[in-house]
Amino acid sequence: MKSSWRDGERVREVELKPLSPGRWRVRVDASEFELACETMPDGKLRLVGEGGVTVAEVTAEGARRFVRLGVLDFVVEREGAGGSGRRRAAGGAHDGGLTAPMPGVITKVMVVVGDEVTKGQPLVALEAMKMEHLVRAPRPGRVKVVAASPGQMVQSGASLVELD
Amino acid sequence: MFKKVLIANRGEITCRVAATLHEMGIRSVAVYSEADRGALHTRVCDEARFIGPPEARASYLNAEAIVRAAKESGADAVHPGFGFLAENAAFAEAVEAAGLTFIGPTAAQIRAMGDKREARRLAEAAGVPIVPGVEAADGRALVRAANAMGYPVIIKAALGGGGKGMQAAHDAKHLAEAIEAAQRVAASAFGDASVYVEKLLEHARHVEVQVLGDGKGRAVHVFERDCTLQRRHQKVVEEAPAPTLTADQRAIVTHAAVRLAEAVKYRGAGTIETLITREGQVYFLEMNTRLQVEHPVTELVTGIDLVRAQIEIAATGKLPFEQHAIKRHGHAIEARLYAEDAARDFLPQVGTATRVRWPDGPFVRVDAGVESGDAVSVHYDPMLAKIIAYAPTRDAAIERLLGALDDTRVHGVVTNLPFLRALLRAPQVRAGSYDTEWVEREFLGGFAELMRAPVPDLALAAVAIAEASGAPGLRAATAAPNGAAGHKDPFAVLGRWRQSGLGE
Repeated sequence: MKSSWRDGERVREVELKPLSPGRWRVRVDASEFELACETMPDGKLRLVGEGGVTVAEVTAEGARRFVRLGVLDFVVEREGAGGSGRRRAAGGAHDGGLTAPMPGVITKVMVVVGDEVTKGQPLVALEAMKMEHLVRAPRPGRVKVVAASPGQMVQSGASLVELD
Repeated sequence: MFKKVLIANRGEITCRVAATLHEMGIRSVAVYSEADRGALHTRVCDEARFIGPPEARASYLNAEAIVRAAKESGADAVHPGFGFLAENAAFAEAVEAAGLTFIGPTAAQIRAMGDKREARRLAEAAGVPIVPGVEAADGRALVRAANAMGYPVIIKAALGGGGKGMQAAHDAKHLAEAIEAAQRVAASAFGDASVYVEKLLEHARHVEVQVLGDGKGRAVHVFERDCTLQRRHQKVVEEAPAPTLTADQRAIVTHAAVRLAEAVKYRGAGTIETLITREGQVYFLEMNTRLQVEHPVTELVTGIDLVRAQIEIAATGKLPFEQHAIKRHGHAIEARLYAEDAARDFLPQVGTATRVRWPDGPFVRVDAGVESGDAVSVHYDPMLAKIIAYAPTRDAAIERLLGALDDTRVHGVVTNLPFLRALLRAPQVRAGSYDTEWVEREFLGGFAELMRAPVPDLALAAVAIAEASGAPGLRAATAAPNGAAGHKDPFAVLGRWRQSGLGE
């Protein structure tokens, strides 16, 4: 059983082979190990491997998986599961953002079609949860499409501006 | 005493106020928007009234709808909480005009202190030193005045509060852009685009004094809080007492605060915020005419329920205790848990807090606004809870808070928990050697690096196994009681996370 998970900028590959009930051969990217796994009455997983014992809690929320190991929390997102990859790729901040980094309301559009913009120039101001975020040009270019207008409510990943 | 009080708010603060009302035997009334149907704050109150659509403007900021709900419910007073209409003079007037008691200061006091420029004048008149600053009618004039005063500066919304709309600028070029942005936020958040510019005091600590006034010219202070750990002018961790304050400085700030509160005949609970420079100079920042988010640290070190004090002052017009009766013991520290992705520039997160477990244990307090299955909406502030620990010493309080954060689990929405845990483990925080800009200047870089570390193989294995075995863990469940699981040693592969400050 193979699956791929988005971990920040990385895609992590996991392969599972059942050995016997409750025992697995696991490969995560290049590393391989064996694990025994028991589901406890409260739904937590008790993992036993060469390194010892730990308790994991896994929660699914859409394409995301929240996992707690001991006292540490991690989040990964299923890769290639209809639309989730796109949403992640549209994640604004890291990609330099021509898309809404979060759901919110457009408060100002600072460019019009045909404008030449420089890298880092603010294009659109977006407000959510009482905080303003400026969507800036990730590179120099000419504005091809402006899909945002003041007062408009947008979803995370919505395209706001396109550059040539 | 009041028989029934409507709480004109939502989330954790409504739950907090309801707890005191319950203890005092006063019936509580919650209000809720379409987005908050069935939300925790509506479940903890004795009754709940619908006030409008999800947008705050149409519901929690809709004074008319809230006053109507108060009248219909038969409440005799309104507690505004913080945020929303808590510092809205017209709302206080509307409440009183409807024949109900507003649990807070007078409308005139809210108006005077709400205009930060006016507040500066009042503080100066009361002999409290203020930060050098300039006012001007428009952006260009502000830039000119700032040029004359010198950089760096900070732009603030005249009618602002809570750090919203604040922007620092280090030269004239950035000032113009920052003024525009601040004006937009101010217009949208406070309904007035006016901003002013203050000298940015660098290497300063944020120390604020809790006051209570009887509205007739008598006031007491309930000691100070230190809220120096901030990110983008938003407080993240707060504590009492202020760890670096000398006895002399404490005397100066508390006396100045009482002087200002008495000078304006302040009524109810308020907070005088100050900045203390490295040289030990105290400057007035602003006065907040409401309960503060961080009020629990004061409550834990003094044993005073500030919400009860607010209610008693509103009902009787008298201070419930004299200054000499207010004592302080031990140390309390609070961390604000936000639905924010610390790995992605702290972007606010929206979704469902599918599985939530709050810490408990002796001397740990949680003021939470969500439980398992509750929604985190795009429409409101992303604060989910405040986790507060008390201990005899500061070191022990930090240790206890870290233990409480280890026992905190929120799945379903990404939170700033890793940030809080790493922050409280930083040696500078332990040593108390930081200023209001330290988090951004020195801490966030290393922390961002840490957040880019790969998720441990074991975590991915757990995810895949849960998936493959159709694990019950993937179903939304109710909060499990605190077990020993959180304290077991993770595998050795987790060592790097532990060392890096994210873990134990």
